[in-house]
Amino acid sequence: MKAAEFRYAAPTTEAEAVALLGEHADDVSVLAGGQSLVPLLALRLATPALVVDINRVAGLDGIERANGHVRVGALVRHSALTRAGSAADAVPLLALAAPLIGHFQIRNRGTVCGSLTHADAAAEWPLVAVTLDAEIELRSAAGARSVPARDFFEGPFTTARQPDELAVAVRFPAWPDGAGFAVEEFARRSGDFAIAGAACAVEVRGGRVTRCAIGLLGLASIPLRADAAEAAIVGTAVGDLDPEAIGRAATAELEPPTDIHASGRYRRRVGAVVVARAFRTALGRANDD
Amino acid sequence: MTDARVPVTFTVNGEPARLTVEPRTTLADALREELDLTGTHLGCEHGVCGACTVLVDGAAVRSCLLFAVQLEGADVTTIEGLSPADGSLNPVQEAFRNCHGLQCGFCTPGFVVSLTALLAENPAPTDDDLRQGLAGNLCRCTGYQGIVAAARQAAGTGVGQ
Amino acid sequence: MTGVVTPNAARFVGQSVRRREDPRLLTGRGRYVDDVTMPRLLHAHFVRSPVARGTLTGLDVTAARELAGVTAVLTAADVNHQAKSMWNSMMGPDAGGPPPRVLADGDVRYVGEPIAIVVASSRAVAEDAADLVVFDIDPLPPVVTIEQALAADARVHPERASNLSGELPPAPQPELDELFDGAAHVVSEHFTQHRYVCVPMETRGLVASWDPWAQTLEVVAATQTAHESRAAWSRLLGVPEDSVHVVMGDVGGSFGQKMFPGREEHGVVIAAKTLGRAIKWIEDRTENLIAGGHAREETADVSLAFDESGALLAGKVLHVENVGAYPNLGDGMAASAAAIVFPGPYRMQRVEYAAKGVYSNTCGHCAYRGPWMMETVVREQMMDLAAERLGLDPLELRRRNVVQLADQPFTTATGVVYEAVSPAETLEQAAELIGYDAFREQQAAARAAGRYLGIGLSLYIEPQMGFGILATEAATIRVEPSGKVNVLMSTGSHGQSLETTIVQVVADELGVAIEDVRFHQGDSAATPYGPGTGGSRSAAIASGAAMQAAHETRDKILQIAAHLLEASPDDLELADSVVTVKGVPDAQVPLATVAAVAYLNTDAMPPGVAPGLEVSSRYKAPFIMFSNACHAATVEVDTATGAVTILRYVVSEDCGNMINPMVVEGQIAGGVVQGIGGVFYEHFEYDESGNPLTTTFLDYHLPTAADVPDLEYGHVVTPSPTPGGYKGMGEGGAIAAPAALLNAVRDALRPFNAKITSQPLTPEAIIDAIEAGTGASTEAPS
Repeated sequence: MKAAEFRYAAPTTEAEAVALLGEHADDVSVLAGGQSLVPLLALRLATPALVVDINRVAGLDGIERANGHVRVGALVRHSALTRAGSAADAVPLLALAAPLIGHFQIRNRGTVCGSLTHADAAAEWPLVAVTLDAEIELRSAAGARSVPARDFFEGPFTTARQPDELAVAVRFPAWPDGAGFAVEEFARRSGDFAIAGAACAVEVRGGRVTRCAIGLLGLASIPLRADAAEAAIVGTAVGDLDPEAIGRAATAELEPPTDIHASGRYRRRVGAVVVARAFRTALGRANDD
Repeated sequence: MTDARVPVTFTVNGEPARLTVEPRTTLADALREELDLTGTHLGCEHGVCGACTVLVDGAAVRSCLLFAVQLEGADVTTIEGLSPADGSLNPVQEAFRNCHGLQCGFCTPGFVVSLTALLAENPAPTDDDLRQGLAGNLCRCTGYQGIVAAARQAAGTGVGQ
Repeated sequence: MTGVVTPNAARFVGQSVRRREDPRLLTGRGRYVDDVTMPRLLHAHFVRSPVARGTLTGLDVTAARELAGVTAVLTAADVNHQAKSMWNSMMGPDAGGPPPRVLADGDVRYVGEPIAIVVASSRAVAEDAADLVVFDIDPLPPVVTIEQALAADARVHPERASNLSGELPPAPQPELDELFDGAAHVVSEHFTQHRYVCVPMETRGLVASWDPWAQTLEVVAATQTAHESRAAWSRLLGVPEDSVHVVMGDVGGSFGQKMFPGREEHGVVIAAKTLGRAIKWIEDRTENLIAGGHAREETADVSLAFDESGALLAGKVLHVENVGAYPNLGDGMAASAAAIVFPGPYRMQRVEYAAKGVYSNTCGHCAYRGPWMMETVVREQMMDLAAERLGLDPLELRRRNVVQLADQPFTTATGVVYEAVSPAETLEQAAELIGYDAFREQQAAARAAGRYLGIGLSLYIEPQMGFGILATEAATIRVEPSGKVNVLMSTGSHGQSLETTIVQVVADELGVAIEDVRFHQGDSAATPYGPGTGGSRSAAIASGAAMQAAHETRDKILQIAAHLLEASPDDLELADSVVTVKGVPDAQVPLATVAAVAYLNTDAMPPGVAPGLEVSSRYKAPFIMFSNACHAATVEVDTATGAVTILRYVVSEDCGNMINPMVVEGQIAGGVVQGIGGVFYEHFEYDESGNPLTTTFLDYHLPTAADVPDLEYGHVVTPSPTPGGYKGMGEGGAIAAPAALLNAVRDALRPFNAKITSQPLTPEAIIDAIEAGTGASTEAPS
């Protein structure tokens, strides 16, 4: 299971990197963590002529807090977000999601942005990005743009990123202190891609939910927000909330994909369960000031 | 496609390794074939089984998911590098031996490296920490019983502190 | 040799001696096939069919051959005629089956079937060349499932009259019919088991080297048997057996998959001969999954007849096995063995066991740990189903039917004789260890609180076969001039710890220090002939040979020492490598001195005694012998998702005297976790076109350390009548575990009346069973 031949470049600046992507856009892969790309190369499911290794590009490995966001650079590994004590603490959902990704050996190399651009519908970072309305920063030789998460994921393994663009960072908006967060997944084995998962953020004030975000994983070809369910929750008194009903409401209209690991019908059932569990947990963690 | 080999220099088990390899050569293959360090094994070559686990700059990684050319300046430790030069076994290896944590031995180097890294990062793991931490390495012979016992023993003897 | 040998007090046998194998394996110094290098080594890679069934045309390897670094690309035209014969010793030349072939020729019969062999300077280049091989396949509708094979709309092998690989037809038994007709209760059920596979962590491979001047073949193989591999390749090439030399180094697991050389190994050997070169082949994980040999895809229709008191009277089974396109052993069926042990540990009077093997356009069948295990899977589930029908607890029903020690020797309904087995004792010990009665109370309380716990038992008898090629095992013991001992065995240990256990046995039997004994195996030129390691034969049969050889060696040592000490051999004892006259501590001679006399100072030998201290002894195994165990599992089922948590798992086992308890428990553990994997996680799937869907570890899921509980063991010791009192037991974990788990889940879901008779038990399958049982959804009430 050896990769096909490819040429290799290891630029040291963003400008170099995007110039290479621009020049070879029709036949290039970006190598960051490699935990998703290298198996594809080994299986010869991907045979790019050029692999651009961005691991030496300066300035991509920062986690910064600014303007109510946490900005995570393209070379930040999953493992950096499993540890407390960085700027990422301002977005608790990051530390809740990171330990669920694969195994620690994977987390030592895999990157947040790599996961976002790979866009597996059962991966945790796309779920978190959509749940928090993150923005993905893209750069090309022509310039830079930011794409909201909701517009970034277009289909299975398909995003708005053009072949000549490099994802250089993702910005996660921080919620006010006191909000409650949770991620809940159902997977066959720990570390597996989940059959269904949910991420919840909920803010409570004066005994009522004032803000709510529910993201869904594995229930469509892209991560989704349960917009209707969220709208129904906002304004509701905490005592009137029924997590199981919320779970059903969030998933009832969905037609999740069927594959060898689970049918769509079963995913929907489990989706309702994980939404309920995530919501109940997030609500329990929310502080009502 | 021409045979475009690339030079790369890194350290393996404290010794310099100066290689010239195709970009597509994985670190696992480079260790095994260029450096004759065959203790790192290939069980799947797609990053699931963990038999190829090595330490890169102290972190446990799947060497089948790294290309050798990526390792410029890095510090790699393989199972051979974790083994005492005097023919004895290190505490993790002793624990595996005491607890029958191996049968055919093929997955074993990967487990030893992973457990070493695990305990370095978390010297006082809970049982759940151990099981979750070992879940990235597959074994087919032991049913994990001896492996978990070895991990408990190694953790209990303060390995990693 | 019969009867239990009573030699020295056991010093090492019975202890969990740490393994000799470990230091090299723990430090990365094991020598597996892929670690072997030779000068000018070439690398092989197979082009394989992407289609399950079809005509193969337009095969063009020109572009592949021209790629830089490629030495050769061989096709059926180059290779197949060089395969003079492809039968294995276990089945003989007249085993029948489809015409064997190394490479596909004119048609393809399963996805993964080898079409061409690329030999190149590296595996990577060989894969590049493989991508350049051109061919066309006109697909034909494949036979994939048992139903399709039986319906026979298409024939897998045109050379055969049907899709049947073999058949055990039911034999008319009027007494059986009478028992069924008169029975108070007849319980019948249909069971299906899915395809799951061995998955050793090391894939298949070999390094084969042909010397055109010496006309010899040298092979380092990932195999369970160096000698059978030698025989197979000598027959394959049509060269004298002594011109083939096979060595097994360290082998990374097998579980049956490396028992016989397969088509790929044959292809590489032929390529080596064709090119006069050394060639390495190691399959990658995808190849191992899709083409390495498959197992377990079976159905069974079972009926059991009971009288009013719950006594099991008789049983009927129709067992159907999907053996793929090219099963590697005869008709690929394990039913003959299953038929023998179907009565298991119960006193049923009559059994009718019928079976069919069917071909399909899928990967061929190979042995997988306890290949006949379907008999336990279905029998033990039937006992639980019958218990429910009869209004008895499953433990109680088993108690009423289990063969007791007092019943033995006991002749079963299939004509084999049990002696020295203890199913009743293990049943009681397992029940006690798991706290069976207390669990029932716990279960009731949990149900009242809306939690679903269950308990399942699996009681079985494990056979070790000793007929045909399996009938003997041999050991050569050489006491060297220094007094150190080398043991050369006919075995093929690949995880079974023989390097340690045999040394324990010999050290005890000879009375030498354990550090002074060294074990060697797996070299067809140097070690004695044997069928290799598998079939749970290590503890009893391999040890039997070692003990026999050691006993003869000890006799000769004492004979020589008696002469040197001017004493009678009966007055001597041999311990810690010193021979001493009993009661006269000063009258002693070290073993090293005895050995030196035997080799170097032969004038001092006793008259009439041949020089040297080398003994070769071949042990004849019993035709069949048995060990037994009882597995008990408790589970909790989350009825919201169908997820199963195994709470506790207990094994009460009896393998007679244990040479090394740690090794015994390790063998059980590996088998049990393969059973857990099989029931809950592993499923090798094909789509309707015969395309494999689970081609990497991303889709074929093995259990991990986070998925299994701590296993608990109880040991019952009923020594066998064979030397040492040992019994083989290595396959038992994989045989018994599935039924215990299936029974536990069914027991947990009893309130839903969920039908649990097929595998795998994925969470979704469990939800479906719950919903089918009650017709109601178990989503949380609103």
